[in-house]
Amino acid sequence: MALDNQTIRTGRVGRGVIGSVLSGRLVWTLVSFLSLLVLWALVAAILQSRLFPGPLEVGSKFLSEAASGELGYHVGVTLARVAVAFLVAMFIGSAIGIALGRAKGADQFFDTWLIFFLNLPALVTIILCYVWFGLTETAAVLAVTINKIPNVAVTVREGARSLSRDLTEMAHIYRFGAWKTLRHVTLPQLAPFMAAAARGGLALVWKIVLVVELLGRPDGVGRQLYDGFQLFDVSMILAYAIAFILVVQLIEILVLQPIEARVNRWRR
Amino acid sequence: MTKPDQAIRIAVDRKAFPAVADRPEQLVLRGVQLTVQEGSFVVLTGPSGCGKSTLLNIVAGLDADFQGHVTFSQDDPKLAFMFQTPRLLPWRTVEQNIRLVLGDDDAQAAAKVAAILDRVGLSEAATAFPERLSLGMQRRAALARAFVVEPDILLMDEPFVSLDDPSADSLRALLIELWNRRPTTVLFVTHDRIEAVMLATRLVRLGGTPASIVQDSDVSLSPADRLDREKVLACRLRLFENA
Ligand SMILES: Nc1ncnc2c1ncn2[C@@H]1O[C@H](COP(=O)(O)OP(=O)(O)OP(=O)(O)O)[C@@H](O)[C@H]1O
Ligand SMILES: [Mg+2]
Repeated sequence: MALDNQTIRTGRVGRGVIGSVLSGRLVWTLVSFLSLLVLWALVAAILQSRLFPGPLEVGSKFLSEAASGELGYHVGVTLARVAVAFLVAMFIGSAIGIALGRAKGADQFFDTWLIFFLNLPALVTIILCYVWFGLTETAAVLAVTINKIPNVAVTVREGARSLSRDLTEMAHIYRFGAWKTLRHVTLPQLAPFMAAAARGGLALVWKIVLVVELLGRPDGVGRQLYDGFQLFDVSMILAYAIAFILVVQLIEILVLQPIEARVNRWRR
Repeated sequence: MTKPDQAIRIAVDRKAFPAVADRPEQLVLRGVQLTVQEGSFVVLTGPSGCGKSTLLNIVAGLDADFQGHVTFSQDDPKLAFMFQTPRLLPWRTVEQNIRLVLGDDDAQAAAKVAAILDRVGLSEAATAFPERLSLGMQRRAALARAFVVEPDILLMDEPFVSLDDPSADSLRALLIELWNRRPTTVLFVTHDRIEAVMLATRLVRLGGTPASIVQDSDVSLSPADRLDREKVLACRLRLFENA
């Protein structure tokens, strides 16, 4: 028997615990993160500049800001703005997307509008909102929301165009009615598109909200970055940047991923 | 108007699919007149592509683009439709799929769902998602869903195709059992002549282009005869002799 010519398939269970841990994502994340930190420390040590602080300096700034409560406060304020703008934009954007995906006439009519708003620079929306509504909280959140709505609408529209006719007919025969059809037939089909919109949208909102804060708010992470810029306090800028990245990652892992896992539970 | 014992009066004078791009308009049905008696099991057969599904969709109200009319004896009769594919919601469990077709205010819903799942032998799979089940089991769930609403009219479009023989046989037996327990007016489309004879109390054949009714016969086999292979085969020969 020419055993050596055969392909042997080994089950994943057969590879042993150590093998699967070593190939695990966690280890690679850790290795890659630590090497970034080392590289940063090295460059800082070589440059010896006030404008390029090393990880230790930034870390101690981070801790002192956290201890004073400043960091928590500003991150919290930014987070609240992101949450409101994100939810409102998801809701309105999805509604528009579903409507346009279902009604061909409306889609043709509003397509130009959508393209206009998609290509409107975020900075323009922000400035106009502040000019028209004053340097208020509402104007700030509105500016972020308006920036995000067209992106959500376009993504969800794609999903609404590809809704299964088979299932719609089934819902019609069994008299689901509008609400039941939306909840059990339409929205589950749109879920992957809404997840994509949420992801792309969240990344966008995080960035825009900082600019909004920088231009017209007395608090929030964007404002702190601006203050750091004016004082040339690079440690402060980096400390807030790192806090920001941490929060975004935590939300990704603790909120978005579990929701996606739950929504996709039925897939084979 | 329909008489009390007539469940459906179908009069499709003309049904055509409009021209698309380089394909000309397609005239599919012409002058299809069919009166379905209350409680009868009408099997529709005919060559592939002759317009059987089209006719069923018209009766179901899924396609309103035709000349003619479909009249029901009852105001707003309750319909159930078993499609060629199960059309279950993949993101809802078997149990939820069946629960969803019952009204929200139905106090006995949970009991009805449990009873029908038990009858079709899916109690064990109640909390499974449809795509994790075999096609035969998905069809069972679709059958349970059709019967749980206690329909006045049951429409079935080749509901047992692409199953292996034993699965198709057991589903057919299940259909007969459910139907005997609760007779309802059935319009059933199939290609399978043996299946047609086993189930039908009346056999209607469509043919020609555009299609119209070319044969309409009563099938007077007793319930026992329907399970007798010899009798079914003999009856098939008689019914389809000029097919
Ligand atoms: N949406 C449609 N647009 C254009 N033509 C269609 C459409 N649906 C069906 N047809 C055409 O109408 C004819 C009848 O189709 P139908 O599906 O009713 O046939 P059928 O008798 O159910 O066939 P089968 O036994 O293969 O299921 C076919 O020639 C088909 O090409
Ligand atoms: Mg068909």
